Amino acid sequence: MHELTPGKQTQGRVGRVIQVLRASVFLTSKLFFADPQWLIPNIIAPFIFTLVAFFLFSGQTSGSSFLLYLVLGSGLMGMWGTTIYASANSIGFDRWNGTMESTLAAPIPLSWIALGRVLFNTLQGVLNAVFILVIGLVWFRVGFTLVNPPAFFFASIMTFLSLSAFGLLMTTILLLSRKGGFITNSMEIPVYIATGTMFPVILLPVVYLPFAFMLAPTWGIEAIRLAALPGYVGLPTTYTVDMTIMVAETFAYLALAFFLFKRVEAYAKKMGTLEEY
Amino acid sequence: MKSTDGKSGLLSADSRLQMAWRVFRGAFFFGRKGLIIWDSWDMWVMQIFITPIAQIGFFAFLSVYLKYPSSVTQFIVIGNALQSMSFSAVFAVANITSQDKWQGTLPSTLVTPANRMALFIGRAWFQVLLSALIAAAGLLYAGTVFGVSFAQADFAGVALVVILTSVAMISFGLLISAVGLYMRTALIVANIFLFVTLLLSGVNFPVSELPVWLQPVAWVIPLTYGTEAVRMAISGASLQALLPVLGWEALDGLVVLIVGFSLFSAFESLSRKTGRFEEY
Amino acid sequence: MQKPLGPAISVKGLTREYVTRNFFGGVARTTSALSGIDFEVANGELFGLIGPNGAGKTTTIKILTTLLTPTGGDARILGLDVRKDLYEIRRRIGIVFGGERGLYNRVSAVDNLRYFSDLYGVDSSVARKRIPELLEVVGLSDRAQEKVEKYSRGMKQRLHIAKALVHDPELIFLDEPTIGLDPGGARDIRNMVRDLKAQGKTILLTTHYMFEAEELCQRIAVISKGKIVALDTPSELKNMVRDISVIELRTFEATMDYVEALRKLPNVVRVVADLDSEQQTIRVQTPLGADLLPKVTAALPAGARIIDRTIKEPTLEDAYLRLVEE
Repeated sequence: MHELTPGKQTQGRVGRVIQVLRASVFLTSKLFFADPQWLIPNIIAPFIFTLVAFFLFSGQTSGSSFLLYLVLGSGLMGMWGTTIYASANSIGFDRWNGTMESTLAAPIPLSWIALGRVLFNTLQGVLNAVFILVIGLVWFRVGFTLVNPPAFFFASIMTFLSLSAFGLLMTTILLLSRKGGFITNSMEIPVYIATGTMFPVILLPVVYLPFAFMLAPTWGIEAIRLAALPGYVGLPTTYTVDMTIMVAETFAYLALAFFLFKRVEAYAKKMGTLEEY
Repeated sequence: MKSTDGKSGLLSADSRLQMAWRVFRGAFFFGRKGLIIWDSWDMWVMQIFITPIAQIGFFAFLSVYLKYPSSVTQFIVIGNALQSMSFSAVFAVANITSQDKWQGTLPSTLVTPANRMALFIGRAWFQVLLSALIAAAGLLYAGTVFGVSFAQADFAGVALVVILTSVAMISFGLLISAVGLYMRTALIVANIFLFVTLLLSGVNFPVSELPVWLQPVAWVIPLTYGTEAVRMAISGASLQALLPVLGWEALDGLVVLIVGFSLFSAFESLSRKTGRFEEY
Repeated sequence: MQKPLGPAISVKGLTREYVTRNFFGGVARTTSALSGIDFEVANGELFGLIGPNGAGKTTTIKILTTLLTPTGGDARILGLDVRKDLYEIRRRIGIVFGGERGLYNRVSAVDNLRYFSDLYGVDSSVARKRIPELLEVVGLSDRAQEKVEKYSRGMKQRLHIAKALVHDPELIFLDEPTIGLDPGGARDIRNMVRDLKAQGKTILLTTHYMFEAEELCQRIAVISKGKIVALDTPSELKNMVRDISVIELRTFEATMDYVEALRKLPNVVRVVADLDSEQQTIRVQTPLGADLLPKVTAALPAGARIIDRTIKEPTLEDAYLRLVEE
């Protein structure tokens, strides 16, 4: 056998985490571009929901700020779509692909790999949201002037991260549950409703509100709309309050997700596999 | 040995029919069994209890938010109640071919000389029942949760519309299956179609509000006739008044079935040429 | 890298039970996959683990590669505890899973190797050099950019080996690496295993094929029903069946009835038959050797023929069969 370059490990914990995240994002994107058809189910529902809403809105109101309200909400729906279907399944893919053992055998926590996958998938959701925005601008001539652009972009990025954290949490739930299809399909429209994508959550029956308030993107879209729309009246909160609650909930998702990942790995080791579905 | 007739080796029209019936009967039972295995209880719960109510709620709240009069909201609620059957009607039938691909049984299904029409209709029957059940559940929610009045409704008419729409939508599902056989997966096509009906089939607003060039497309989809007919039946139209709409729906369903079937045969021979059965 | 002083693998009293729970979470059934095994593998040794399906081979490998926690006993890899030092062990071992599992088929060989080298924390500058070298070694250089789904079974298996070596492990686990390969593909893999051994790597190999174990391994443990029933060099294992010799028959149109008749003959220890092909191979183990031949011929039913017969020395397979059947 030829002389091989001797192996050398990357030094430092931060360097290791970055290396794994990069590898995971890289592989996920490669796999995605090898088979991009799976984007379609993720974007088609939010897209058509938006078109229906455009038709309904156009009969009732005029004024670009109302349409922008709608476009921002449907962008959030698009991000939800990828979070629920793609991110939630980020490690489930390995179970299906037969690479679960190889993934579990790597000398790093499973959550690092999942985080890379989820970040890429949520990024798809951002593209999806941008796509919907462009349709709104071009086809429905939505005006895109923002009240406070920096606040708008900050809120958007934080909402993106909160959805990633939610996706990570979903990954663990789907790894522990055998009813993945049921959970994701059942969640789709309820989360569109609960986060106020198309109409304010305050319209909802009171019993629904705790669920709505537990979802970080509910606060995210509030903050985004406050920063984008002139004279927007939503929940009786301010931009800062919305952002604070969202960040707090995002950290709660992350903490719960990492805790559950530990459980998943312990379970896998105890049973010897996560292959069985 | 003495030859008894000149057609030995060929099937007479009569025995061809018998053969088709046997295939239908086989697929009929397969349809039930396959569904029970694949569609386990959770998918049922989702399709009957969760998705319809969430979807109706989504558009009903949107209408309330836009301060539309309650007649518009009721229009939307009824439309979505009937549309909620599409998931079962279109998706699961489209799944028949995908499921075969997944399990690797597609080639073994296709190498059989079974009559395709009998095979697929035989497998689809169960979906008709399920679809009708889901639409009935949707209408129940419309009446109980979303305040649609059934005081004037002609229940026989409503039932007729629901069942006919289920059958016609299954035909549409067969057409999607045909496309799915040739494309890498039917699920994507089914998904798109599923949501396109929300836009085109008079579910949330009348077809007349669509751009003119889109309106003919809307009338290709059987559901478009269904939403119109079910609203008529709920507001008290007699069976006689319903007949023209239902007649068009039945005709449309039949045409869709024939087109779907021709496409199926065409794609099947194309698949044979390109050897795509096993891709996914 | 500095070699550890002790053995590469050390296993003491290792047990593993699987608990099947019923609907209410109560224990429905406890099955014992390993009931107390002991063995050691020295540094640089090529060690074989053989046994029938369900004997505990995979369970043992899973425990040693930290994928499964043992129920009892102790297992140390390179001096590290499989229960506690997971990540340190994983960084220093390579695993080749047999069969089709374990690769991303929709991306290229290079993408697979780069991904796993990152997961194993291989320094990027090293990986850039090492990945092409490994592809060269496993003979995949010219197709390195192709999607893995286009590879043959043998090519995939070679990629598996490259994947297991990407982080330069000291100890390599090969779980049935030649299963399902054609003879040429299997030979390639065996040559690679020999090369790895020559480089001083410690290797634990499981296999279904006795000749493969005999050819490659320095020592072999035979595992049966969760216990190690023998552990020795291939030649010593064969010595256990020195008392017998084997009459190998090639026959035409022999049936199970004939095999049963042979089994009933006095002084026949064991009869192993392969009746599935056009010509059947029947191996009769007996202490009598050639003296048994007349009776073997006499038992032949009408219509069947013996094409060829030879008296052979017992092989590892004969020893193995005796061990796992007793």
